[in-house]
Amino acid sequence: MSRPRYFEDVEVGDELPALKLTLSGAQVRAYAETANMPGGRFYGDEEARAEGLPGQIAPGNMSMALFSRLLSGWSERGRLLRLNATFRGLVRPNVPLTFHAVVIEKHASDHGNFVECDLVLENADGERLVTGTATLQLPSRG
Amino acid sequence: MIIDLHTHSDLSEDSRAPIETYLKWLQRKRDLLPIDGIVLTEHRQWNARLDYRALEDKYGILILRGAEVETDYGHILLYGVNDEMVRRFDFADVRLNAQQVVTEIARLGGIAAPCHPGRPTIGLCEHYASRPPLEGVIAVEALNGGSRKGENERVADLMARHGYSGFGGSDAHLVSLIGVCATEFDRDIGDVEDLVEALRAGGYRPVDFRHRLRAH
Amino acid sequence: MALTFDRSILGQEFDHTVFEPVTKEDMLAYATAYGETNPIYLDEAAARSGPYGTLVAVPTFAFRLRGHHFMPKSLAQVGRAGLDAGKDVEFGEPIRPGDVLTASSTIHDIYEKTGRTGTMHFIVIRTLVTNQNGMRVAVIDQRMMFR
Repeated sequence: MSRPRYFEDVEVGDELPALKLTLSGAQVRAYAETANMPGGRFYGDEEARAEGLPGQIAPGNMSMALFSRLLSGWSERGRLLRLNATFRGLVRPNVPLTFHAVVIEKHASDHGNFVECDLVLENADGERLVTGTATLQLPSRG
Repeated sequence: MIIDLHTHSDLSEDSRAPIETYLKWLQRKRDLLPIDGIVLTEHRQWNARLDYRALEDKYGILILRGAEVETDYGHILLYGVNDEMVRRFDFADVRLNAQQVVTEIARLGGIAAPCHPGRPTIGLCEHYASRPPLEGVIAVEALNGGSRKGENERVADLMARHGYSGFGGSDAHLVSLIGVCATEFDRDIGDVEDLVEALRAGGYRPVDFRHRLRAH
Repeated sequence: MALTFDRSILGQEFDHTVFEPVTKEDMLAYATAYGETNPIYLDEAAARSGPYGTLVAVPTFAFRLRGHHFMPKSLAQVGRAGLDAGKDVEFGEPIRPGDVLTASSTIHDIYEKTGRTGTMHFIVIRTLVTNQNGMRVAVIDQRMMFR
């Protein structure tokens, strides 16, 4: 396990290491199967076009899962408390994607130490396909 | 004076940005984003009771309020909103008559300025391709921080053909996107009346700070 | 076409589903499918020394739950042809192997707005997920967009 990230080490404005990937059609299908969303628009281009879409798309849930992966990789002992996302554009397989997160707020209370992040998923053209926010509870050094 | 004329707080259903967090961010990013004020232009609503003077004093950033409404010619930003306007128009109606909005908002002391004109369906450019232009439009949002490739570029031609002035706004729905586009005014703006007067008179231009931040 | 509906359905439970016990296999398959790398979700030894002391599901595992009814009967006309417009989720108690989860769904809000692709109607489905001990696992507000 990598070194844990502590609340005291985080500054507002910190950018998390971006997650860059290109989903394959097979990966999208596999996720959709395990997420109980099989078939249709997540299965393949033909099936998606039959639903009026330009081609196979990845589920919005998958984008959110990938954001949680980005956050989890940054802070393995952090606890994800809130996650929200607005799906503004279709996420397609075989398109380079970059998941960004930046710390916008941190606050400590009797209930714990919390960090708020903005989340943006963009494609190679810089179009924002998904935007959102997350709240993480981080461990403290003290 | 530089003001972000188009922002959404968590009062807009698709924004997750608390107002105070916007202000803290702008304070922290002052060297990159020299924003002196913001206008909260929430979607399809107006609450006359909201008062952000305490936050203005705390952070030294001007906070003005407007609204973004939806019409048959696309979305329009309203500045100088008052009770008469709210009685005249249902801000929650997504099918407002744009000509009535532009004319009546001006008559009632404000200014109605079409936003993201280059955007498909909800931008003026597409509607002007097949319908008569609106009468009484003075200014449009020439630079919108949420627009996609080509959408802002389309607006220059619209402005030239119709003599519109242009302003800028971030259209932020996230804290980290506030102030990336804004409007630089030659004069000082102290309140909403100053803003309306300035938008009518000219002496402003859009400013683009997106290159100063990580490419979003 | 405007979406017509009876606003009295807001807040009324239209689905209540109790699921089969969560299995470790399903937890691992889901995490692997999107490439989760945090070992506390993937490896039992690492999980034992992690913050929960045991293997737990990744937070978004709760998104897998599919109740008996997708919509209330009175909104059946919207069908399943909508697009997922987004979610707001609060996570609570972690999910562990063997947990028996219950999901209760209501219609939280309905509204319309216009965007790049035209007029859109939004139905917000709120699902409260609890475990066998009555502890809150997640509250999921899902926004479905229909034309």
